[in-house]
Amino acid sequence: MPDRNEILNELKNRYKDEIVSFYDKSPRRVYIEIKSESIVNIASYIFKELKARFNVASAVDARSHIEILYHFTLEYLDLLISLRVKLDRENPTIKSLTSVFKGSNWIEREMYELMGINFEGHPNLKRLLLSDKWPEGVYPLRCDYKEWDNNAIRDRGV
Amino acid sequence: MSIRLNALLKSPWVFHVSTGSCNNCDIEVLDCLTPRFDIERFGMVLAPSIKHADVLLVTGSGNRKSMERVKKLYEQAPKPIVVVAIGECACSRGIFIHSYNCPVPLDKVIPVDVYIPGCPPKPEAIIAGVVKLIQKVKEKTKNNA
Repeated sequence: MPDRNEILNELKNRYKDEIVSFYDKSPRRVYIEIKSESIVNIASYIFKELKARFNVASAVDARSHIEILYHFTLEYLDLLISLRVKLDRENPTIKSLTSVFKGSNWIEREMYELMGINFEGHPNLKRLLLSDKWPEGVYPLRCDYKEWDNNAIRDRGV
Repeated sequence: MSIRLNALLKSPWVFHVSTGSCNNCDIEVLDCLTPRFDIERFGMVLAPSIKHADVLLVTGSGNRKSMERVKKLYEQAPKPIVVVAIGECACSRGIFIHSYNCPVPLDKVIPVDVYIPGCPPKPEAIIAGVVKLIQKVKEKTKNNA
């Protein structure tokens, strides 16, 4: 089994044009910022060649941009690799990873409904959790979310 | 009405619905049923269906989807039914009062008879609430008779 340095160096060399920055936070945690076009390549390499487990993906609205963190665990190294992708806030679009691993299907649907991120090539990009009455184009976890429901009661009545 | 409420008092069958809670209140409800607290000594049994229930226990802050279901459950329940809100979330939505997904409190959707606050309420608090509920129903029966 290759060790931690070998794996990370191989990753750095193989994708040196696609990696924007590399942050070795701790022995158990690495953040790699990559270009959003190359997510399918790098994620399939980590998932298929390095035999990582896809944990989850998380989206963050950072005001200047929207970023997605794809978390992969390499259990034989006790290492968590987070791939960071920065997306344009006006039109956040990225390729879907569902063709690589099915586990990303629902989390992409959730990010689509809560953050408004568009996943190209997703087989079934529709809402996952929100109510059917929720209006189109309103994303509750964005920073600029405003209350749209006039019937909502926001005081405790005391 | 009074005979029915008296019958309800003898052995209230309870239907428990969680409207998107963190499951902590549900665990406390489950504790009430264990031998240590044994709420069954008051004749309370969990009912498998709302159509068999006399009491509707509601936990959780109530999101947009589950509130529709709670309303339907209340409509399906045989009347008279007593609604008990367990936990801070069911009483007033607790910390989720400004949540995008919790627009209205439970008591604006269905009438609530007993509020048991706490996050989560202890089994003792739930039993105290239940005793108050029985007293309330008794008084109602007296007034009606």
